Amino acid sequence: MTAERLGGAPGRIPLDALDRDGALTESAERLGSRGEFLRGGAVSIAVGALALPGAARAATHNADEDILNYALSLEYLQAAFYTEAERVGALSGRLAEQARVVGSHERAHVEALQSLLGGRAIKRPRFDFQGVTENPAQFRQTAVAFEDLGTAAYKAEAPKIQNAEYLAAAVRIHSVEARHAAWIRRVAGSVPAPDAFDEPKARPRVERLVASTEFVVADPVTRTSSEPRFTG
Amino acid sequence: MAFQNRRITIETVGGASQAQPDARDPGAGAEFRRRALFGGAGILIGGILIGGLPRLAVSAPSAAQDTEVLNFALQLERLQEAFYAEAEDSLAATGELSEYIRVVGAHERAHRELIEKALGGDAVPAPELDFGDVFASPESFIDAAVALEETAVAAYNGQATNLTPEALATAARIASVEARHASWARGIAGEAPAPRGSDRAIGAARAQTELAELGLVTG
Repeated sequence: MTAERLGGAPGRIPLDALDRDGALTESAERLGSRGEFLRGGAVSIAVGALALPGAARAATHNADEDILNYALSLEYLQAAFYTEAERVGALSGRLAEQARVVGSHERAHVEALQSLLGGRAIKRPRFDFQGVTENPAQFRQTAVAFEDLGTAAYKAEAPKIQNAEYLAAAVRIHSVEARHAAWIRRVAGSVPAPDAFDEPKARPRVERLVASTEFVVADPVTRTSSEPRFTG
Repeated sequence: MAFQNRRITIETVGGASQAQPDARDPGAGAEFRRRALFGGAGILIGGILIGGLPRLAVSAPSAAQDTEVLNFALQLERLQEAFYAEAEDSLAATGELSEYIRVVGAHERAHRELIEKALGGDAVPAPELDFGDVFASPESFIDAAVALEETAVAAYNGQATNLTPEALATAARIASVEARHASWARGIAGEAPAPRGSDRAIGAARAQTELAELGLVTG
């Protein structure tokens, strides 16, 4: 699919930059030739794409709403990823089950955040997962990265939220993302809970990682004439 | 040890208005009742409840309230640490279950140590623990582990709005690890690792009730 890229040419990053504890690399090493691809220096697999459109961000003056929109951008990414994987149908067994259930959760998170934000919710960007959802091994690796990242992103933002209702909603999603992470790690043969403490990951770093994947291919305000490819 | 005299209910941190037990999640109660029949009978832990704390009304976050909430968390972590330590000693676990017990037990110990350190001289005394026969079989153990981790996740979520941002940042580093444990344990038990899109958030009183239903605490 020909994709309009955001903001010039984002640098691709090696897998290990996303790989907090080596679990992804370990998994990749079990994948043979596919693992070679995943470990390669030009690998851009994984974590994803969340660069928030500047326009949407500027329009949000309330700090809490800015945080919720950031969370929404991550949920859009995750929801689209699992929805596409389910639609493509290349997964089977435990992976397919994970994609189906987790996808339904991520779509629910999107709806919950949209509901909290009302008319101030950012719009959904367009995604291109570049075939990752069609390959079970790549799907699995990317899902591990997404879920660990999502958990770390919510963790970094939660203490900044002022509104109690927003905070209560955010922490209840935060722990679900952690469940997802443990789930897909277990499926991947990695330790579901690799550390005694999960560490937060600051927004600029998350957004850089997301941008590096090139999964987000179009700003939601893009003047494309085509419909979004995925609506998860 | 006259611990009984120190026991009061943990409702001191239980009145959280944001804690919305199961109003939106009617299935959770049934889940716990089922588990209580299955896995929990026989565990007896006296004095897990927080003793000697002032009955602060739950209100805007403050350093004093942080202390109270962290003491509640400390007792939860002590309970979990002891639970897994006992499992390691008395359960003939193999394979993934053995790994789960070892890894998660080490996490709970680290959580307890961090919270104890944060509280310093404000930490309440450790409870006396008296486990029963929940470790009789891997099945009864993992059911109890699922229930215990579920309560821990919901309890941490329920306290989020009671904490100052600094204390919340610490608690959140633990809370998601408890959620990973819950997911892992559920997977071992053959259940959906993430049964709902939004996790429960419960107050301390509800947490106490759930642990009591499991036989994990008395009173």
